[in-house]
Amino acid sequence: MATLKVSDLTKNFGSTQVLKQINLDVSDGEFIVLLGPSGCGKSTLLNMIAGLESVDEGEILIDDFVVNRVEPKDRNIAMVFQSYALYPAMTVRDNVIFGLKQRKVSKEQIEKSLKHFSKMLQIDHLLERKPAQLSGGQRQRVAMGRALVREPHIFLFDEPLSNLDAKLRIEMRHEINKLHEKLGTTMIYVTHDQVEAMSLATRIAVMNEGIIQQIGTPQEIYDKPNSVFVADFIGSPAINLINGTFSKNGAEPCFIPEQQKDDVKISLSDYSFDSEPKDGQQIIFGFRPEHINLPDVTLKSQLPVQLKPALIELTGYEKEVTFEFYGNEVTGRLPRHIETELGKPISLNLDLSEISIFDRESTMRI
Amino acid sequence: MQVADPKQLVALERSAARKRTFYRWLLFLILGLFGIYYLAPLYVMIVTSLKSMEEIRQGNLMTLPGDIRFDAWKTAWSGRGYAAGDVFLRPFFWNSIKMVVPAVAISTFFGALNGYALTKWRFKGDNLLFLLFLFGCFIPYQAILLPMARTLGIMGISNSIVGLVLVHTVYGLSFTTMFFRNYYISIPDEMIKAARIDGAGFFKIFFKVLLPISSPIIVVTVIWQFTGIWNDFLFGSSFSFGEAAPIQVALNNMVLTSTSVKEYNVDMAAAFIAGIPTLLVYVLAGKYFIRGLTAGSVKG
Repeated sequence: MATLKVSDLTKNFGSTQVLKQINLDVSDGEFIVLLGPSGCGKSTLLNMIAGLESVDEGEILIDDFVVNRVEPKDRNIAMVFQSYALYPAMTVRDNVIFGLKQRKVSKEQIEKSLKHFSKMLQIDHLLERKPAQLSGGQRQRVAMGRALVREPHIFLFDEPLSNLDAKLRIEMRHEINKLHEKLGTTMIYVTHDQVEAMSLATRIAVMNEGIIQQIGTPQEIYDKPNSVFVADFIGSPAINLINGTFSKNGAEPCFIPEQQKDDVKISLSDYSFDSEPKDGQQIIFGFRPEHINLPDVTLKSQLPVQLKPALIELTGYEKEVTFEFYGNEVTGRLPRHIETELGKPISLNLDLSEISIFDRESTMRI
Repeated sequence: MQVADPKQLVALERSAARKRTFYRWLLFLILGLFGIYYLAPLYVMIVTSLKSMEEIRQGNLMTLPGDIRFDAWKTAWSGRGYAAGDVFLRPFFWNSIKMVVPAVAISTFFGALNGYALTKWRFKGDNLLFLLFLFGCFIPYQAILLPMARTLGIMGISNSIVGLVLVHTVYGLSFTTMFFRNYYISIPDEMIKAARIDGAGFFKIFFKVLLPISSPIIVVTVIWQFTGIWNDFLFGSSFSFGEAAPIQVALNNMVLTSTSVKEYNVDMAAAFIAGIPTLLVYVLAGKYFIRGLTAGSVKG
């Protein structure tokens, strides 16, 4: 059992408020990813959960106990850092068992844990080496080992993969995923990498400027972003956002892109509004690049469009094509076998069942 | 583009090579001259210290000694053994050792502790405090002579080795703190966070995690402090006299107060003896310094 509850947490550094009344509820065994641009307060939040930063206002509860003033070592947590933070003067063995020694665990128990986890992480042949003699990936494993041997209730990860090269990063990502599967321990993971967030999390909390913008499963966050910020932050290439106005147009609500005459209307009759906008309200129309596609008979709501490629980028298994779309540049993701030529219009369909509509003033989803 | 004539290219190549050789030799020549310029006094010292007075009077500064004799060294170190009031270095050498070892050790240790606290346990006003430490580095020796003399008097440790240890420790603390603070600021805070989560406290983190990787800066600090304290004359001559004086003061007394003929060979030997420990520290610690710099890097 390991739950975490953060309520109305606030943190100030001098006169700047870096966290503004954060609320977060983590149940046992969850993998929560705190995602956001640098400076959004995600690392500060993690440090506060770890007990490395003091709490200004609000409460942190681990297993239903308030731990605001409990020392980091007594919180039943372990943390993996971006720079690995291994102790350079100690061997891998001493690095891993340092924490256990501090809490006066018996020698036999230490040996047993060390053996078990070093084998699991495949670092058992490195035990007598110093951190300086290890590669980046090996150091990462040792840092994980140091966290694992303590068998904590909650794992905290602070951008643990950011210092690794691309290939190793994916490898370690898989291992962290497997580890979570195997141990089932509650994990809180901070990153600015959306791919990491999408692939690891059971739930993602997208943070910006000290508040949690949205929290939900990766699918929810991707499909139904609740604000322009979340929509824009998640997804690569980025979501296409087009300014325009909402028009009631009798019975059929529709979207008119900016600087277009009334004859250009995109029907929104299949979009389920959270709250119906007023006629003439300024809105933002958003759709992801993969929703520009070839005509597909199975989709019930689609808009046929003629688009002229302005830029074609091959990524390997697909093409990212930039089109001109009612005075905006939009990106589409097309299968690579579709023939495209600069300036030559092609017939495509815009899938209207997956769009997002935001209010332009509040930038929130409507 | 103009097509180069192959013959011209060969000539160019050859003249470039000649030029390189010429500049290389010029460089070595200039470096050699500077080397001689700097080493000449040392040469004169050693040569003179090995001559007899007779030889010194007859030859010139540069001539090699006829036969090597260490009489002058012996006299400088342990005296002639008959004249009362005869100044020789041995007791003062030990005075200096007794002063320099604790002073260097204490100031280095507390400098490390200060640097650690200032960088890894940030508190309100820590930067202001560090600024004051920096300010301490700029206080000239002369400015603290009188207040220090008063303080030592009140504490009852004037004219004693303990007093000198205190003076040098206090004066050196600014420098050692600055050295360690600037070194520790480059060590990632995450290492300290990790140790805190692992359950280590303030001193455990200092001794187990930070100190073992501080050898480069410890060596730098020790060299700095040792040289400064060993070679100090002002504090030594101001706060001590007679038997409690450190070696530099004794050397001065020996050279300036000899009543009879000036014994250049003994003076030179004495000056050399007074310089040996600093030389030794450079030679021994320099090796560790380089070793410390290359090993123990955190990131790869």
